[in-house]
Amino acid sequence: MAIDARPDEPVGPAQPTAPAPAAEAESAAALGEVTLSGAALGVGPRAAAVTVGRSPLRRTVGMIGQYAVLVALAVVVLAPIALVLIQALSSPIRYIAAGLPLHPVGIDWKDRTWWSGGAASVILRSLVILVALVWLQLRVAGGRIWELSRFRERPVLALAVAAGWVAVVLTTNPIFAALADGSSNAPALVLVAVLVVGATQLIGFQAGARSWWAALILAALAGVGLVAVVVICFGAAVWTDAWTRADLGPAMVQSLILTILITAAQLVTATLAAYAFTFLRFPLKGLLFAFFLGTLLLPLEVTLLANEYTVRQLGWTDTYQGLVAPFAASAFGTFLVRQGFRGVPPEIRDAAQLDGYGHLSFLWRFAIPLTRPVIASFTVIAALAAWNQYLWPRAIIDQASHETAQIRLRTLVSTEVAQSNQAIAAALIVAVPVVLLLIAFQRQIIRGLTAGAVKG
Amino acid sequence: MIAAWWHRRYSTRETLLALLFLAPSIAVFVAFFYRPFLNLVYWGTFESRRRGAFFESVGLRQYREQLTSDDFRQGLWHSIQFVLYTVPTGLVLGILLAVAAHRRLKGIKIFQAIFASTIASSVAVASVVFFFFLNPTVGIFRVDWLNNPDMAMFAVALSGIWRHLGLSFIIVLAGLQSVPDEVLEAATLDGYGPVRRLLRITLPLISPVLLFLLVVLVIFGFQAFAEIEILTGGGPAASTETLVFKIFRLNTPDSIGIGAVYSVGLFLVTLVVTGLQFAILERRVHYGD
Repeated sequence: MAIDARPDEPVGPAQPTAPAPAAEAESAAALGEVTLSGAALGVGPRAAAVTVGRSPLRRTVGMIGQYAVLVALAVVVLAPIALVLIQALSSPIRYIAAGLPLHPVGIDWKDRTWWSGGAASVILRSLVILVALVWLQLRVAGGRIWELSRFRERPVLALAVAAGWVAVVLTTNPIFAALADGSSNAPALVLVAVLVVGATQLIGFQAGARSWWAALILAALAGVGLVAVVVICFGAAVWTDAWTRADLGPAMVQSLILTILITAAQLVTATLAAYAFTFLRFPLKGLLFAFFLGTLLLPLEVTLLANEYTVRQLGWTDTYQGLVAPFAASAFGTFLVRQGFRGVPPEIRDAAQLDGYGHLSFLWRFAIPLTRPVIASFTVIAALAAWNQYLWPRAIIDQASHETAQIRLRTLVSTEVAQSNQAIAAALIVAVPVVLLLIAFQRQIIRGLTAGAVKG
Repeated sequence: MIAAWWHRRYSTRETLLALLFLAPSIAVFVAFFYRPFLNLVYWGTFESRRRGAFFESVGLRQYREQLTSDDFRQGLWHSIQFVLYTVPTGLVLGILLAVAAHRRLKGIKIFQAIFASTIASSVAVASVVFFFFLNPTVGIFRVDWLNNPDMAMFAVALSGIWRHLGLSFIIVLAGLQSVPDEVLEAATLDGYGPVRRLLRITLPLISPVLLFLLVVLVIFGFQAFAEIEILTGGGPAASTETLVFKIFRLNTPDSIGIGAVYSVGLFLVTLVVTGLQFAILERRVHYGD
């Protein structure tokens, strides 16, 4: 495959490749994340260039060094989030010098059971766990989360999901209680929970994983992960406190509606405009396209004052139309979708024309389906930007009850340090939808972000 | 004759359909991009009298006065400071992360996901995280940078750098992945070591990507607002009041004329800086063929 050695060096037999840390390598391979075969490992062009003519020992050392660098960098990148998560889950009282008359928010573990807190929260909690379990089982079985038909082919997967849900509910309940009481049984209960939950997942994994010990490792990881997430996310009172004190519920709903409206509006206007620029003949096309691209030079930061004036004149403060209107069209989106439309083969267009398809039906039946990846990328990027935007809502929202989630975070920062863990918890909650989008649409996001940077 | 020319080149139906398709976008662009900008240019020639009760046309005098005022220069300097703190560091860290993660190792996807993960954080989330991260009482480092006029801008820039790490990483990695393996193999055969290969071959080859990233980061830098409002509120002693922050505050009737001048100033600055970057770097950038 790759060039093996420099001309003046003897070409030796293929060296055995150094094993990566077993657990990680196996779990990654079994999860289907890494598609490299053992042969590709370490003999790719880049690796070959580095390792040519070296002894296996030096190669192993080199590989460990590479992993060490990667781990160190990962620690640096994750440090702010990790440290802040710890901060959210600990009471600020231990940071505060004695004698300050503050009322710190404790990090209580809710002394509740699975069945308290109302039907809605029970259903929501159960749903989150069920989705996580389905994802785990399907992923290990080599499928995607929406390929639910696999459950019919392998009923054992459904059994694992059901058993996993029961196990999580039954075994985490006593942990909540023990943590709330400060009982010393908590570590033992956690261990039991991990073992039981892991065992239920093993039922499904052992059908899908590559080897029995890979299944075992995966089951152990799943047990630890599920129990940790459930206890930290559902047990710690700081999340519910942050949710209620910051009034995040209505704010998140507003942000969600706003995101959907802006994304839908941009999708419609950009697709129509891109269609006109690609498939229709009309005078002054070049000039109009320049008119579109020219808006990229006029970001909201520049036109802020005049736009704020317009919206206030219209009486659109604190309204969805005021929040959406300036973002209802997108030059970037038009450009991106136009690039996609240009890739539609002319033969298809001619054939569709001969078959009597009009422009609207051609757009709907051919152009959009053929450029779905590009449109998907643009949709996700637009949704991310809309959810994350700050300056415009900040400028035209006057009433606290109409604030978006991002704006609401600002009010939490100014509160006293005794409640810092609540503010951090609220920030992490606001980031959750984005994290879910990222996990679900990784590829589309990367394509959208790099659309301007790399050709092709 | 005009009709004949028209019918030879265009179809009236298609033109009308195109107009219909373009109309929504054009309406938004006129109403919320071009008209407001022209408004601002016009407003800049009016000075507010009696706390905004009426305005007097003063021609370009207000532009001359305000664009050379200490306040505008201060805002511009703070914006430039922010850009200087965030952009070079962001570029270098992006390249570092991408080079480290552009390897064929088992589990590399996990590291790539971690390096890209900071794009999950919105500017408000990152600001809240860094506010408590840098808090003297509950923070990890127990430093009081946010209340120190000399360090506040650096502290604000830290959160900006961290938030854009993911974006820089993704863009540089995409560039690295577009470099053909054969080129690097040839360089290896010529006896180039890893460092020389990176500096002499890879980075020049991906220079268009780096230019793109540079322009994006500079524009983001000049537009930074939320991290400043959340972390310092412009303080201490106005040491973090950037241009955008000042513009945001100049929305009252007695200051809107000045705000308009500042907005046009911000437009010119970004235009000039971006234009310069293209003009200077375009010549050195390798676009391949």
